[in-house]
Amino acid sequence: MNVVRAWIEERLGLRAVTHFLEKKEVPRHKHTFLYYTGSSILLFLGIQIVTGVLLAFYYQPTLAEANASVVRIMTEMPLGWLIRSVHSWSATFMIAIVFVHLLGIAFTKAYRKPREATWITGVLLLGASLAFGFTGYLLPWDELSLAATKVGTNLPKALPFVGAWLTQVMRAGEDVTGDTLSRFFIVHVSVLPLAIMAFLGVHLFLVQRHGMSGPLAEEKKNVKVPALPFWPNFVFREAAVWLVLLGVLITIAIVAAPGIGPKADMMAPAPEGIKPEWYFLFMFQTLKLFPATILGLNGELFALLLMMVGMGLIAFLPFIDNRPAERKGRIISGLAWAGLAYAVGMSIWSLL
Amino acid sequence: MKLPYSLFSRRAFLNSLIGGWLAALGAAFISPLVKYIVPPTREPDQVSTPLADFKDMAPHTVKGFAWGNKPGFLKKTEDGGFIAFVGVCTHLDCNVAFVAEQRRFYCACHEGWYDENGLNVAGPPPAPLRRLAVSVEGDALIIKKQG
Repeated sequence: MNVVRAWIEERLGLRAVTHFLEKKEVPRHKHTFLYYTGSSILLFLGIQIVTGVLLAFYYQPTLAEANASVVRIMTEMPLGWLIRSVHSWSATFMIAIVFVHLLGIAFTKAYRKPREATWITGVLLLGASLAFGFTGYLLPWDELSLAATKVGTNLPKALPFVGAWLTQVMRAGEDVTGDTLSRFFIVHVSVLPLAIMAFLGVHLFLVQRHGMSGPLAEEKKNVKVPALPFWPNFVFREAAVWLVLLGVLITIAIVAAPGIGPKADMMAPAPEGIKPEWYFLFMFQTLKLFPATILGLNGELFALLLMMVGMGLIAFLPFIDNRPAERKGRIISGLAWAGLAYAVGMSIWSLL
Repeated sequence: MKLPYSLFSRRAFLNSLIGGWLAALGAAFISPLVKYIVPPTREPDQVSTPLADFKDMAPHTVKGFAWGNKPGFLKKTEDGGFIAFVGVCTHLDCNVAFVAEQRRFYCACHEGWYDENGLNVAGPPPAPLRRLAVSVEGDALIIKKQG
């Protein structure tokens, strides 16, 4: 056994990695629970990859077959309904925990120097996750998914110069058609997975490089925070969290499996009560409320610019809040709370 | 000839020259890819339907037809003529429905309303429904892009 281990070690030199993991510590304080969010996202990402590959075994991304093949997965394939339900619910769980992860880091100011690049790769990962949700929503090709995709891909059109072109790139033409479906499928199963793996690699590397961010107060006083060894203590705790999440996921997936609507008809009027995935609801409601023109500007463009400013503020947060000054920190926390309240309020309103 | 003073060092000049070549080469490789990803538009120049399908419509009623990939609506007017719209909401591109009892077009996506002449009357739509030109030629109804 030792001979085999030595043989492998000589060729791969993994000792450096295991040595690092043996030494790795996780700070212990009242926000330690936020450290579990990262690994929980990884859990759901793993589930997405496995169930996604399984779904792709039978799914057919064509105008004629897309809706029927999803129906077939759900009615004919052994446990197909469960695989699809887990894929759908795991996506929801993943996005939800991504938001908790992001807000936790925003409130604990863990994005500050030297972790700016970690934050930015995190924002890219958020973008990729939302893009996964958006492209995946179209694939069952039912009435709702067609209408939601039409609205979503029409949004950039309001932008000057590049808007119309961007819409055409997303739709593969003027309208949402079979070409859009192929495009969304390949982006969902190939382009985004490659992108998310690349961003994730950098993100995880940077997290290891800088170590876990500790509480602000202690960091400033240069006090050593009590810590937990990563292996085995923290990993075992993570394992417990994973098991609970997995149990909740499977339970919900069994009792609340998603259905599928009638096949999308490009000529039919939009169905009543269309709504996007829950994490886009606040934007949906915002668009509904915005009037056609504001101060002579196109209302849609206005809403779009507002959202872009919001996204820009989030993406460049570490450079806006670049000094650990309490005053600035409090304004950022206030804005984060306000943004959260807005998103939650709008989402609830859209469901009324 | 040796210049007494130069804005560029020889290295900076060569670097920017090679950098420029590389950028041009990159652009030459990328531009066909960018071109490839948008297929040609498939909006029809005109659509022809048998007049017989629409002749017996009562005034103020609306019937659908296919305008390429989009739904189109033909409305019979009071004086027996036709007007045609592209049945796509000008807000965010959802297909609209004609609500016959109210004689209005309705978009379910964000609750937009148009009157029977396609004028945006309520909700977020910023502009009227797009009009198409209708003409009768023999026993065919020809619907064309306006203008």
